[in-house]
Amino acid sequence: MSDRGKSDSARLAALRGLRVVAPEAGPALVALREVAYRHPGAAASSPEAVKSVTLSIAAGEVVALCGPNAAGKSTLARLACGLLQAEAGAVELGGAAIDSLSRRERARRVAFLGQQSATELPFTGREVALMGRAPHLGLWALEAPGDRARADAALAELDVLHLADRPVSQMSGGERQRIFLARAFAQDASLTVLDEPTLALDLAHQVLLVNAVRSRARQGQGALLVLHDLTLAAAACDRIVLMSSGRILAEGTPAEVLLPKILEAAYGTVVDVVHDPATGLPLIAPRVDR
Amino acid sequence: MSRPPPPAAPPGPPFARRSLSSALGYSTSSASAAVRALRMLVLLLPLLAAAVAIGLLVGGQPLSLRAALAGVEPDATILRALRVPRVILAAEVGAALSLSGVALQALLRNPLADPFIFGLSGGAALGSALLAVVAPAAAVGVASLLGLVPQQAAACAGAFAAALLVFTLGRSRGQLLPERALLLGVVFNSFASAVVIAVQALVRPERTQQMLLWLSGTLGYETRSVLVSAGLAVMLPLALLTALAGRLNLLALGDDEASSLGVDVGQTRALAFLAASIAVGASVALTGLVGFVGLVVPHAVRFVVGPDHRVLLPASALGGAIFLVLADAAARALFRAIGAEPPVGAVTALIGAPLFILLLRRRA
Repeated sequence: MSDRGKSDSARLAALRGLRVVAPEAGPALVALREVAYRHPGAAASSPEAVKSVTLSIAAGEVVALCGPNAAGKSTLARLACGLLQAEAGAVELGGAAIDSLSRRERARRVAFLGQQSATELPFTGREVALMGRAPHLGLWALEAPGDRARADAALAELDVLHLADRPVSQMSGGERQRIFLARAFAQDASLTVLDEPTLALDLAHQVLLVNAVRSRARQGQGALLVLHDLTLAAAACDRIVLMSSGRILAEGTPAEVLLPKILEAAYGTVVDVVHDPATGLPLIAPRVDR
Repeated sequence: MSRPPPPAAPPGPPFARRSLSSALGYSTSSASAAVRALRMLVLLLPLLAAAVAIGLLVGGQPLSLRAALAGVEPDATILRALRVPRVILAAEVGAALSLSGVALQALLRNPLADPFIFGLSGGAALGSALLAVVAPAAAVGVASLLGLVPQQAAACAGAFAAALLVFTLGRSRGQLLPERALLLGVVFNSFASAVVIAVQALVRPERTQQMLLWLSGTLGYETRSVLVSAGLAVMLPLALLTALAGRLNLLALGDDEASSLGVDVGQTRALAFLAASIAVGASVALTGLVGFVGLVVPHAVRFVVGPDHRVLLPASALGGAIFLVLADAAARALFRAIGAEPPVGAVTALIGAPLFILLLRRRA
């Protein structure tokens, strides 16, 4: 489940693109076809937040969703989880129309963590991680020892097992975020959608998260990560989907998408793209007046 | 990328929970929610019995429990006609207010929510008072004959309307802002009190004094049928909320996250608001505005059992009953010498308001 047993060099190798992609089997984990969405209350004449987007994620694939603010990334991520209802187009999870699935069945297929997950209630780290097991449990969510083991494994994967008995309301932002990520991991859905998961994380914990996501991908799970950091996206993901004004502007491997021209068109600012001599991965350098 | 990730913590021995919970054996890692809920009931039921005994013994007239039970007058009559109904009412109202406090705190993801602070009590008072003034006495009489409790129903409707108002206006771009909702609730409570007093003063000036007492929260002596209907108004929300407890836990993660875990957020929220409104409406119709019970009790109970609603809800219901029975006994005992008796709402406010400030400061 975790790659804790591996040496650091093996972890770095995994991060640098020596990837074992699981063989594609069965339908896509999620498939969006010509999906469109307009925010409620927006005028009919105003542009849609998401315009006719087609996207699918296969088993074992890690996909980054990038783009400028208000490009529609978070909206698309929520459409993929069924948290928003598409105005037009179709969304399928594992080959089944998302509307045909019960809420619990949906929750077993896709896990979601947004940006504003926070609570003032003093649930402990383990209690929060255990909440991820809810789709697998009954009405009162009475957990079995196996669920506790799953929750603890997820906490260990994100290096927060030592915080299992502390209230999340007393944790730092980074600690809390890793607890919430552990909740999403404990859900053991075939697809995990994370909206800007690295926002509160320091460098080491960003790498830890990416390694955990990749390790799960090697076992056939998929991930959709909304990321602002393009360099991290290039290192972490098999595919980058670059959005702008509600549409997909470019899509492909990091080397195909992260080109200065494309990025300038998307962000409206000049960037340099250099390549890591060791790995060949693109590194994004913004140009700043100084 | 030069720095390898820190090693994951080893799966070590059982962790020390840094709170009272571990000392009492309520560690979440050791027992399932059902076992913890049962343990809590075993601990709290004797405490409730003790509180009830105190509530029966304390009052303007010294009472011998043994004499009363042996049928010696006037002790027997005082016990049966005055103390017992009063203690039952206090227990019911305490449980109801405490339950609705837990429900609102879960919905707002914030331990500072309370039916009084949140405006539900004000809404209930408004509904109840408007009915008393506006509805023709004949209609109310007919409804009562049919077994309905119009004043309580009006209070429940008022509480639900206030909840809707505060919850709708407290949102901004789809996100509930707890501070904004709480502020709205406080403002709405003042507004409701003002309207109630104004309406009363215009329609029945002779009852203004009584109205003021009611607005500050007073336990009276109710008939058996009223106590039974109030009991139902506690048991129904208790059952509903306890059934929802697993989902209320998940709501703490956020609306989208709870929904992605399979919770029908809209339905859960509506049912929890309904349960809270029934509990608050019934309480306010009978006792007026008893404040801060829904704040003080869940906070104390959460300190012992943690925030898991599967344990917190039943424990808070019992804790609320214990608290209000004792607060009422204190109101009667402390001022016995001068022959006066402050409304129980004054006692709960004296305890609750400083605690609220303390909590607010600790959070900042």
